[in-house]
Amino acid sequence: MRKLVCTGIALACVAAVAVPLAAEPGIGAVAPHFRAFDMAGKIVNLSDYRGKTVVLEWNNPGCPFVKKHYESGNMQKTQAAAVAQGAVWLTINSGAAGKQGHMSGPEAQKFVAGQSARPSAYLLDPQGLIGKGYGAKTTPQIYIIDAKGRLTYNGAIDDKPTANKADIAGARNHVLAALGEMRAGKPVSVPESRPYGCSVKYPD
Amino acid sequence: MVWIRFVLMSLATLFVAAPASAQDKGPHVRIELVAETDRPAPGSEVTLAFASTPQKGWHAYWQNPGDAGLPARAEWTLPAGASAGPLRYPVPHRLIIGGLMNYVYEAPFAQFVTLKLPLGAQPGTAFPVKVKLDYLVCTNEICVPEKAELATALTIGDGAVSTDRRARFDAWRAALPRPLGSQATYQVDGNIFRLGVPFPAAATVSGEGYFFPVTDGAIDYAAPQRVVRDGDRIVVETPAKRSLPAIEGVLAFGSQGFALSASPGTVPPPSASALATAAAAPSEGWIVTALLAFLGAVVGGVILNIMPCVFPILSLKALSLVKAGDDSGNPRGEALAYTAGVVLTCLALGGALLALRAGGAAVGWAFQLQDPRVILFLLLLVTGISLNLAGLFELPTPSFVNRASSRGHGGSFMTGMLAAFVATPCTGPFMGAALGAALILPWPAALAIFGGLGLGIALPFLLLGFIPALRRRLPKPGAWMATLRHILSVPMFLTALALAWVLGRQAGVDGMALGLGAALTASFGLWWTGRRQARGAARAWLPALPLLLLALAALALVRPAPAGAERPAIAGAEAFSEARLAQLRADGRPVFAYFTADWCVTCKVNEKGTIETEAVTEAFAQHKVAVLVGDWTNGDPVLGRFIERHNRAGVPLYLWYKPGSAEPEVLPQVLTQAMLRNLSSGG
Repeated sequence: MRKLVCTGIALACVAAVAVPLAAEPGIGAVAPHFRAFDMAGKIVNLSDYRGKTVVLEWNNPGCPFVKKHYESGNMQKTQAAAVAQGAVWLTINSGAAGKQGHMSGPEAQKFVAGQSARPSAYLLDPQGLIGKGYGAKTTPQIYIIDAKGRLTYNGAIDDKPTANKADIAGARNHVLAALGEMRAGKPVSVPESRPYGCSVKYPD
Repeated sequence: MVWIRFVLMSLATLFVAAPASAQDKGPHVRIELVAETDRPAPGSEVTLAFASTPQKGWHAYWQNPGDAGLPARAEWTLPAGASAGPLRYPVPHRLIIGGLMNYVYEAPFAQFVTLKLPLGAQPGTAFPVKVKLDYLVCTNEICVPEKAELATALTIGDGAVSTDRRARFDAWRAALPRPLGSQATYQVDGNIFRLGVPFPAAATVSGEGYFFPVTDGAIDYAAPQRVVRDGDRIVVETPAKRSLPAIEGVLAFGSQGFALSASPGTVPPPSASALATAAAAPSEGWIVTALLAFLGAVVGGVILNIMPCVFPILSLKALSLVKAGDDSGNPRGEALAYTAGVVLTCLALGGALLALRAGGAAVGWAFQLQDPRVILFLLLLVTGISLNLAGLFELPTPSFVNRASSRGHGGSFMTGMLAAFVATPCTGPFMGAALGAALILPWPAALAIFGGLGLGIALPFLLLGFIPALRRRLPKPGAWMATLRHILSVPMFLTALALAWVLGRQAGVDGMALGLGAALTASFGLWWTGRRQARGAARAWLPALPLLLLALAALALVRPAPAGAERPAIAGAEAFSEARLAQLRADGRPVFAYFTADWCVTCKVNEKGTIETEAVTEAFAQHKVAVLVGDWTNGDPVLGRFIERHNRAGVPLYLWYKPGSAEPEVLPQVLTQAMLRNLSSGG
């Protein structure tokens, strides 16, 4: 009995330590599973997309860095290219209620329509559960999950960390590059980059 | 009248403030480009500052912004031949928003850039400097990328710096991290990132320690860090993220920062005693910490029993227990009374310390020992005890104490108090860590540590009192006890010697002489009393009392020696100043100028191993080499400027001025005796 209690306590300790570490999956690790409402009130399950490449995009429409990529059309172009290749694009909003970028379902629909965005779904994560599960820190931040459910990319959309639209032309689009390499059966050459932008507005 | 003006003024402010906050337009950080001199000399370097003032509620970012954000980017437009270095940032602050770490500035700050001028620049010509600065400013809610187009008009000249400009730059310069001369090491040990930074144990720092990584990706920024001082190094532990080939960063204590670079290597975990201090860093786990520190304090207390300062007192008490025998007397009661005496004294000292801490005074344990008067009092007390042990005189027992100690309690209680009070000088090496923890823990936990210390000191005695078998092991009383008593006086005398030394350190030679004189006066009185006691004279203490009072009067006279008098570098060394340097060089003397800081390990090694050695001192004296010492411990900006001018970012810096030559020779950072001897002999 005592042994059992001791083991239990030890396990609890390990678990307590392991949870925050597990929060940010490394490249090659199994992407954490999640379920969320999309902007239309439908439940989206990550596991529904097993067998497909999934791109996660963290979004905050008020953030100047997000605006850079939407107002220039770069984000929509990237979304359309990914979807055309058969990938699933999930835009996720982890902004907490009352903070910049937080949106209700109808507001998100208006944003997507207004920007002519092309995500497969726009997910609402006001409690920041998905964001924290993936360790998303900035908007925009991009994750790519391969058909086997493993994380193959985590980082910025491109290699020009500025809010200046003029910098998009000369930038390397990490997302399109990674998707192209994955389609060609090659390993992703830049699997991680430093995400840039505004901090994700998690609840305090 | 005054109030009318006040009301009008308030209204005016309201009207001025309202539109400003309503439009809330940028720039949210006001930036001014300032050059240290407006007339830089050709071929020289001039420091430029981006004097930045964030609006209230807004923050700008450090060179590594943390989990989100961006550092500033500068695009320079400079005349041909000129070049601008990288941005140098002051020590940032931490700002956690929604679980994400930001390294920011919320108050006015200044980044520095070194601008190199071409040699061929013609004096008198204009030298326009233009820069486009891209930076990000955020509140807790929103972020705004801003741009600033800044310019400053310089004229090629003589490089003179105005005094007010100098003062401004010196204030900014003081906020820059100081480059730590020595190389740090880091290791990823399982899930732990461990950084080892060489840092002399003697160097003082204040404020909470934190490692700001410049290199991205090594650690999780938002995770808590544990910064431990462990002997001659500082160890930083935090959850690891991934292994990197090398890491740059700034180790900060409060607003004081040390820039360092770390290479991979083996970093042993901090020692248990050092951990006891660090674990006390504010965190939820303080109950565990308090428990550990309490246990550590108990162990430390037990160890204290064999220290020369406590052992004789303990032995006295043990002897009395032996006298009390197995059944006569009340060994348990006596042991409990002794324990109570020790624990209560420790708690009282701890309580006083905590009260002082609450009052904001920067004190440590043994704080009472930083006052030379307390040292002098202890010196007198220990001298008296030594003489008593040596048999010079006998302590009379007042009748009430006699009555009490016939039951054993009062006397034991007093002995316990004495043991605890005398034990404090010995606490340093064993207890420093646990007591350091006590200083940062919540007060109940801190008091528990002091209680633990007392309990530890009392523990052996408690065991003797409660376990008759142990007591039976003690030898029977007899003539050997007197001999033992005399022998025990030896460590007590040594304690007195140590106290005299401490007094000398604190109050200088005068203070030590005063203390020894007072001890001599007291000894004379006690000796006289002893003689009278031996004769069986009535009122044996009569002659001793005035002499003891006279000795105690010395307490009023002893003063701490002036600070700084205590930095005995090598004989004949003077504090560095450029004026003094110029004067010595004008006299045609060779000058060895060295720049050091308490926190610089390399500096200390060179001083102990080379500069302060007899051979070098002699060689310097023989060849009339003047030695100037610049102490950069507190980041004196005047010295900082001088060091910068010699192309060194920090200490150690060793300069050799040969008579007649215009420029000094910059010596390597690792000195040898032979090198200094050769130089002084002109070779």
